[in-house]
Amino acid sequence: MLNTDKIRADFNILNPKNGSAPIYFDSACMSLKPNKVIEAMNDYYFNYPACAGRSSHKLGDKVTKKVKETRQIIAKFINAQNENEIIFTRNTTEGINLLANSIGLQKGDIVLISDKEHNSNLIPWLLLRDKIGIIVKIIPSNEDGSFNLNNFSELIIGVKLVSIVHTSNLDGVTNPAKEIIKIAHQNKALVLLDAAQSIPHKRINVQDLDVDFLAFSGHKMLGPTGIGVFYGQYKLLEKLEPFMVGGDTVLSSTYENYKFLPVPEKFEAGLQDYAGIIGLGEAVKYLSQFDFNDIAEHELKLNTYITEELQKIPQIRIIGPENAQNRSGIINFYMDGMDMHKFAIMLDEMANISIRSGQHCVHSWFANKKIFNSARVSLYLYNTMEEAEAFIVNLKKIIKIL
Amino acid sequence: MLCILALIIFSILGIFSASQRALAREALDCVFRRVTFRPCNTGFQEKIKGKILSKLINRSVFLARIFNKHYEIFSWTLFILMVGSTIWVLRGGYNFYIYGSCNGLNESGFCAFDPSGENNKVTTIGNNSACGITQKSEKNVTLSNVDLSSFPTQNIGSKDTVVFIGCYACDYSRKAYPDIQKLIKEKKTNYVFAHYPAKGDTTFLGDIGYCVYKDYKDKYWNFNNYLFTADKDFVLNKANADKILRSFNFDVKKVNECANSAETKNAVQNQVTELNKTNLYGTPTIFINSKPFVGPKPYRVYKSTLNKFIFF
Repeated sequence: MLNTDKIRADFNILNPKNGSAPIYFDSACMSLKPNKVIEAMNDYYFNYPACAGRSSHKLGDKVTKKVKETRQIIAKFINAQNENEIIFTRNTTEGINLLANSIGLQKGDIVLISDKEHNSNLIPWLLLRDKIGIIVKIIPSNEDGSFNLNNFSELIIGVKLVSIVHTSNLDGVTNPAKEIIKIAHQNKALVLLDAAQSIPHKRINVQDLDVDFLAFSGHKMLGPTGIGVFYGQYKLLEKLEPFMVGGDTVLSSTYENYKFLPVPEKFEAGLQDYAGIIGLGEAVKYLSQFDFNDIAEHELKLNTYITEELQKIPQIRIIGPENAQNRSGIINFYMDGMDMHKFAIMLDEMANISIRSGQHCVHSWFANKKIFNSARVSLYLYNTMEEAEAFIVNLKKIIKIL
Repeated sequence: MLCILALIIFSILGIFSASQRALAREALDCVFRRVTFRPCNTGFQEKIKGKILSKLINRSVFLARIFNKHYEIFSWTLFILMVGSTIWVLRGGYNFYIYGSCNGLNESGFCAFDPSGENNKVTTIGNNSACGITQKSEKNVTLSNVDLSSFPTQNIGSKDTVVFIGCYACDYSRKAYPDIQKLIKEKKTNYVFAHYPAKGDTTFLGDIGYCVYKDYKDKYWNFNNYLFTADKDFVLNKANADKILRSFNFDVKKVNECANSAETKNAVQNQVTELNKTNLYGTPTIFINSKPFVGPKPYRVYKSTLNKFIFF
């Protein structure tokens, strides 16, 4: 069981000594950062702000060592076979774009995605469709937002790549990744898993999943912004063309020729975000001290309470399955004919409660369902039952005046 | 309508703050959509509404509900009030420029007096009782049927005439006097000066002035300037009168005899009677081409009147 008091003390913004703490329910967009992450980044900037991998001095060596350490920490965290399968990117979006532009898709190749993809996992494929003529197919979900394996099995034939969200930022539904990957592999399709929303809340074992590629962001898992990870099985990464090229991607070059470095360097062009990498390593270390079952249990408890209270309000409709157990730490809701931005603004102004409103970068789903927008509560390990209660009290106040 | 209000308010605040400037831009977008008959669906309206509601809801759920329900009516009301108050402010600014007071005429200080004794009336007790004091108004002050021929006059044949009724002991008169002198010098207007003993005992100066004007017309205006600009205590002290007359090389004995004569007393009294016909109630009272001003005004006010820059 999580000790939220102890956890909250690790976050400067949540420390009551620093004034009134916000009720932060927008972790699906951006998690808060523990002090250790910030301190590690500050330590880099204060004490060894040098380049990794190229400078032969003590400061450079220290950065190289730290970057290597972080690669190892992350590899261990997701149980990758080796650290070279970890490529640092800016975020999940960059990871997906990296694969889209490196895998060598040809005209007529089929990419299969779900109907609840974030724009990050929709637009790159639509762009390739328009540029080179790939075919993008959509897997329709069940009515409650859960994944429909039958639809998937029907559509998988002839597919080159399945690019699919693991946990949806729209409704919190976690897709059955292992089954999807198994079916995809049986049909000779590769699988990219968008783990941006799942990795902060669930233990992910890439070997157990047998996933080919995986992308996630640091900023949703207690890490800094501007740093993410793209994982790929080594043998597959070796076959990929580099996405961006330049400094630190080549072993040698002449005016006529060049020779790329091996994976992962060939994908990490230019000077990297060393502070971000070091911060991400610290975030993963921090997160690793917890049992993910405890995090899930804690989020479920809060989600269940909020869900039950929302279900008592007839005007409110929750997006996704009714049962909180199937929605991770996300409660996304809307009211017919209501602009939910107003809800978010009022909660913020009234009680310093931060929630997200809008279409959550899943415009395609909202357009298809003809829903204007929604308000999303997303929970994490530092949230408390008192915060959930305060949210409900203030939400009911707002409902009263409508 | 709230978007128009927001545009104006945030535009003003935006002069000082970049964050308000962003809101002003959002408001402008919203206004543009409204004036082109498109819905304002940028979320700006809801943002502002949400912010207002959240302040209200913490004070009264009832008020918040009413505001939310009748939001458009409130918006229109606030808009109309804003337009009204803007017009009022502009009018105030105009008044300030033209009259020296945001409220228009008759609001600056002056030496009040009550020649008719109206303010000393005893109010009757009973159902029909009313306060004996009535509000004085510049509008009632007039030169109609007032004979100014006996007063010191500089007639240079101008189409413009300035009449200055002041009291040597009145600080407000003394304040306005230099501006009037400047005005007549600059604009070369006809000029009539009248002394009205509004404050303290200045009758003796009025009598002396009458005699000086009678016997020394060419030196009178310098003498009069001196009485308004020299140290007030010195001028108002009767014991200094001879000294002052001597300093202008007047025949002190002759002037004093004239001033103490029954003829002079009678003439000065007649002048006061004429001045009372103007319904004046304070000094200085200045007529510029018959337009009355009670109390000192900024110089630009006098000048604007001559330039006919007054619309209402």
